Parts: sequence; C-alpha cells; structure tokens
Amino acid sequence: MLRNVALRRGRLAALQASAAPAAAREPGLEISELTPFPVREPVSGRSYTIVRVRTRSGLTGYGECPGATASEVAQALRQISGMPATSYEVLAGRLAGVGTLGAAVNMALLDIVGKAAKAPVYQVLGGPTRHKARALAPLAGDTDAVLVDSMKRAMTAGYRAFLVPAPAPPSRNQGQAWALAVRKRLDTLREAGGENTDFVLDGNGRLVPGDAATAAAILEKFHLLWFDEPCPLVSLGAVKKISEENVTPVGFGRHIRSGAGFQDLLREDAIDVIRPSISLNGISAIRRMAAIAETYYVAAAPYHDGGPVATAAALHLAASLPNFFIQQIPLPETEEDRRMRADIAGSSVETVKDGFAALPTGPGLGITVNEKALEKSRGGAA
Amino acid sequence: MRRRDLFGGMAGALALGRRAHAACACMLEPAQAAAPVPASPFQDVGSKVRITGMKAMGVSLTPQSDRPYVFVKLETNQGLVGWGEATLEGKAAAAMACVNDFGQHIIGADPMQVEHLWQSMYVHSFYRAGPVMGSAISGIDQALWDLRGKILGMPVYKLLGGPFDARGVRGYYHAVAGSREQLLKLRDSAVAQGVSCFKTGIPGYYEWLERHAKIDRAVRQLAMAREALGPEIDIAVDFHAKPSATVASILVKELEPLNLLFVEEPCPPENVKAMARISRRSTTPIATGERLVASYGCRELIEMGVVDILQPDINHVGGITALWKVGAMADAAGISMAPHSCEGPIGGLATLHVDASMPNFLVQEVCSGVAPRAEDKIWQEWLGFPAMRMVNGRFPLSDKPGLGFDLSEDAFKKYPFAGTRAMARVFHEDGSVAEW
Repeated sequence: MLRNVALRRGRLAALQASAAPAAAREPGLEISELTPFPVREPVSGRSYTIVRVRTRSGLTGYGECPGATASEVAQALRQISGMPATSYEVLAGRLAGVGTLGAAVNMALLDIVGKAAKAPVYQVLGGPTRHKARALAPLAGDTDAVLVDSMKRAMTAGYRAFLVPAPAPPSRNQGQAWALAVRKRLDTLREAGGENTDFVLDGNGRLVPGDAATAAAILEKFHLLWFDEPCPLVSLGAVKKISEENVTPVGFGRHIRSGAGFQDLLREDAIDVIRPSISLNGISAIRRMAAIAETYYVAAAPYHDGGPVATAAALHLAASLPNFFIQQIPLPETEEDRRMRADIAGSSVETVKDGFAALPTGPGLGITVNEKALEKSRGGAA
Repeated sequence: MRRRDLFGGMAGALALGRRAHAACACMLEPAQAAAPVPASPFQDVGSKVRITGMKAMGVSLTPQSDRPYVFVKLETNQGLVGWGEATLEGKAAAAMACVNDFGQHIIGADPMQVEHLWQSMYVHSFYRAGPVMGSAISGIDQALWDLRGKILGMPVYKLLGGPFDARGVRGYYHAVAGSREQLLKLRDSAVAQGVSCFKTGIPGYYEWLERHAKIDRAVRQLAMAREALGPEIDIAVDFHAKPSATVASILVKELEPLNLLFVEEPCPPENVKAMARISRRSTTPIATGERLVASYGCRELIEMGVVDILQPDINHVGGITALWKVGAMADAAGISMAPHSCEGPIGGLATLHVDASMPNFLVQEVCSGVAPRAEDKIWQEWLGFPAMRMVNGRFPLSDKPGLGFDLSEDAFKKYPFAGTRAMARVFHEDGSVAEW
C-alpha cells in the first residue's frame, strides 16, 4: 500500500518535471519582481515608464511602455511571477489585457534571456540580419523655417531621413492653398537638405481620406519615402482609396496593437509600410506583425515616440527582421532632454552616423540602465 | 489485325517527312525480336519504340559557372536519341538528381506518349512541381518531343501546327551599353542587323521603400536609353524582381512616357496580388513568368488580369508541353508570349519551335548581345550551326525533324561538370539580403 503511494508520487513528480522543462533546466530565471519607473523629460514633457523585471537569481532586465498604473503593475506581476523569463511568448498572451505593460515586460524578459545567454537580443532572435539600422528623425515645428532648423540639427546629429509634420489642416476639407502648402514645405526642406535627404510626410491621422489622396497624388513625383498616417483608420474601403488612386507609399499603424489590424490593411492593398509602435507592442509582437507583412513584400518601420530603452529594443528588433526598413528615433530638441536620455541608458544607444544607427553589442538589450537617473527624472503616469 | 492497321497509319503519316523516312522505317517494322516490347495496356494503341536509357549530364563551360547546363539524353531501342535541357541556375546537381529520380517513369516507356508521361511525372509525384521538379520534367519533355519529331519525320513546330511566320522567330538581344555613346552605336548595329528590340536591366538594387535619389537616377537612365535608341526600336526593361511592389509601382508609372514594350518581373513572383497592385496603377505593360512552373503557376496571373505578357522558361515551366499550354491559356485572355531563355542551346532551340506555333507569340529572348559571346562560338562547335543567332532580326527555323539538330556527347568532353555553384549573393548597404 505504502509502496503504491510512493510509486504514484514518483510518477506524479516525473510528470510535473516534464511539464515544466524550462523551469527545471534554468533555475534562477523565474520572475520575482516587477518595478515601474515613470519618467518625464524636463523640456519636451514627453513621459514614459521604464520597467525593471528581476529574477530569483538576481538578473535584471529593462523594458519600456508609455505608462502603467499601480493596479496594472500588481495585476501583471500576479500573471508572471514564478514563470521563467524564457517563456516571453507564453507571457505575452497573459499580459494582453494589462494596459501596455506587456510591451515593457517583453523587452525586459528578452533583456534577461540575452544576459543569461551572454548574447545580444538580436542573436537570441536569429539575427543579426543587418549590421546597422537606418534611422528616421521626427522634425518639430509649425512653420517651414522652424522645420528647416530642426532638420539641420538632425543632419548634424547624423540623420538623413526625416518625419515632417504636414501643415495643419485649417478646416475639415482642404482646397488648393493647403495642397500647395504641403508641396512647398517638402520642396523647401529638400532644397535645404540636398539630394540625399529623404522625407516621410506625417499626416498624423488628421486628414479626411479624400484630402489625403490629393496630397499623395501631388507628391507622387516628389518620391516621399512614404506618407504616414494620411488619414484616421476609418473603414478599410475609405482608406484603401488612397493607394488605389496613386503610387505614393502609405504607412499606418502607430495605434495598431494586433497583427490582424495589419493583415486587414495588407489584404486590401492599403499599406506600403507597417508602423507598429515599439513601446505599445514590444519586440515579439512586432516580429509577428512583420512576418505577416513579409509575404506582401512590405517592410516594418516601427513608430517610436518614447524613451531610450525602447530605442535599444527597437534596434534589436531591426536586426532580427528581414523586412526592416527604418527606425524612428525621437530626437531631443534641447540639451536637457538629450542629457536625460543619455543619463538613463548611455549615450551610445541613440547615436546616428550617415543616416544609420549602430547596433548595441552587449548582452541582452546591450544598455546599462542608471536607476539613479530614473529616480531623478521621476514623473509622468505612474 | 488491329496492330497492323495502326502501323499502316503510322507509316502513312511518316511519308510526310521526307528526310526522316529512311531513318524511321525500321522502327515501325512489326517484329522487333531484338528488343521485346514489355506487356502494356497500351500495346495495341502505342508505338513499338521504347526508351532504353536516360542520362542527365552536367556541362560547365567554366569551372566557376553558376549555371552549368543540365542536358537530358534519351536513348531508344531503335537507335534514335532525343535531347532536352533541364538547366536550373544555381541548383545543377539537384536538377540532375531529379531527372534521374524520374527513371522509373521513363525507362521502358513509349516516347510517343509525351502528354501521358508528362501527366504521370507531374501527378504521380504527389508533391507538385517547384523549380527543381519543373526543370527535370522540362528536360525530359523536350527530349520526348525531339524523339517524337524524329520518329514522325517532322520538326516539332510542324507537329505543333506552325509556323505562324515562315520568316522565323522574332527575337531580342540584351542591350549591354552604359553610356549614351555606346547606346547610339548599339542602335546603328541593330539597324544594320535588322534587330528590332532590346532588353535592358533597371540599374541598382532596391530596398523595401526607396530614396528619391535612387528612383530619380533609374528613371533618368532609362529615359536616356529611349532617347539614344530612338523611337523605332522596342525597349523592354527587366526589373528582375529587385523592387518591392511599392517601389515598382512608382518606377513603372514614371516610365509610362517611354512606351516600353514591357517591364519584366516588376516585383518578386510569389504574390500575384502584389503584382496586381503595380499593374493596375500604370499603363506600362507588365511581363512575368520565368520562375513559374506549369500552366497552373500562370493561371492566377491570367485570370486576375495582372499581366500583359507571359515569359515562361521552357527549361523550368515543364518543357514544350507546358509552354504550349500556357500560350493557349494566355491567348484566350489577349496575353502575348515572350518566353525567357538564358541557359543552354537545347532549351533555346526547343523554345523556338513553340514560339513558331503560338498565335500570340511576341518576341523571344536570348541572353546574348548584338556581338556574339564566347558561348555562341562553343554552341556552334557543338551543333555545327550558329544556334540562337538572329538573321535579319529573326531566329531561322530548321526543316530537320525533332528539335532540328544532331549532337554527340563527345562534344561536351572539354567542359566537364564542375559541380553546383551558388548564384549571386547581393546585400544592401546595411548588410541585409537584397533581391538581385
């Protein structure tokens, strides 16, 4: 009788061991802590939350998302506590409903996996598929003159491609004056930047589809890299009119958080470049989206308006995708903001030369996060 | 006896081909004691000819060649041999192995049953043909047609009901010229030789989206080619699937004023809808097809109205049988045929027979220039005539039976198979993989 119980327990233990092989093989990678550091840039006021994940063995990984509430952090920790960092895809599903924390946790877990393996994340993910990543600088300004100054600063910083805000539409539907202002803005910038500068026009989802198509048509021979968020993602039938009528490439996706959202646009021939946000989606989810885009010969150019940890994550993503084209990197307009970003993650991660960002080379995300700097810049959504 | 009647009919047909009559008469004698015909459900309706041997041979013109020719030779119990070509660039050994894998389908078979044997190779393989199997079937199919033509004493284009144009097959060379001066010279020699068409490649390699400077440079260079070659010469531009559909759409639209004969493979061929995005936003005629296998591979392109011109390669699509069927399907949709050909002389000569027999034939490629290449000289040594050289802008047709040439294996001794070599590997500025 006792022998039977012992036998049964032995079998049960064996079954449990085989059901959790990752945990059994890699003691110490179980997640034990999740800590948010909300920060705010002093001048731009741009805010984001850096997240630290710690394992039982004491390894730490960092990620970033736009923000996280205390209850979201507590909920997320319940979902992932005790699970190995290597199960980052498993945990992505569990965190799908917890605000945007899933993106930050995904970056942090891959940071840990890379550190444990002593390899950059892009090697963990089958790369590098390239040795540097083309970089896109968003310009800031309301007038053509201010935008030219912004571009010249970005050129000094090493950028050759620029995201240009379209002139603000004065009313719901536009006429000739606005259309000419769009063309003049881009002509002014190209003239100031020279033949080897390239432009993405940012519609910021503020135009009606018809006006977006008009702008796309007058810009066909200008050769934009693409027209970004030309209109809000209203019905697909309305959106696809833009790319049916002309050949200016269009990009969408800074708010999209599912592969299905991109699949619909791709199926309808309504999109030429997918623009998932790195800090809304993390690394793994964008790899899945890019895999869908690949069969349409469409590239990923992740959107990014956050902090330097997400920049590092985006560069690892870039070096793990075959169909990456360009990475948007927020360009601080002031020295204070620039210094804060450099203090958090080191100055090398957002360094651009001749239009390309260098890949991080250390294990994990390849950055050392300075928690004192995080405390110093505390702010934003908690 | 029924069998005697059949032979009588065959002999009657044979009389049409004067030259081959003597050579073939022996084959149709009822008694073939030396080579007993195996029992077959087709024995009352088939011929007495049996395939007794099949060889796949690799021929490397240089040890570094990434596209050694793969030739297929079929031998028969009647002494006649048939030649075909199964060259597959970058995958020579695989194509040869695949030809040999079809040994059980072919050895002992009646070469007259080409349609039946093609179906058996395609259908009974279970896994549908990609380029390796497509090339193997192509080589065997061409050799079967060569045999059929020789047995019946007719050139293959007559078996196919042609020729539509007795003057021969209109062709184009590649324009190998960079500067305006070179292009002007090319125009002069083209006019002198009666050449009416050239193809050139689009300059550069293309990323998923493209920069203004690169698009602008490509458009300007092609406009210069049109200006220098003049309005009388047709120009085709091969994109070689280098751009994405997005970038190709821009380029193809901006090339509209050049009135090109066609733009070839504007984007990679796996996604028909992507190519449709390009073609529906421009009036520039779109051509594609060199990487497609069998008529099945072309169906969607045709029915979706994506292409204006189809360019199957007789060495990959499935030989004469498949190329002719693609042509028939394309004809019903008003689509023209401009078959690809960039491998050896056997496939080149085989494709001319199909070209001559298609009502919707446009123009035949040959990967050569107005000035002959080193290969052209070697081909002449092998075949005894200048294969794939145009006379007055056309490839002449031969009256000889089958594919129209005699060839000895000994011809290849100087060019032993040097193994498979990878094709070009091209990378972008950031080190990522580029289409070439």
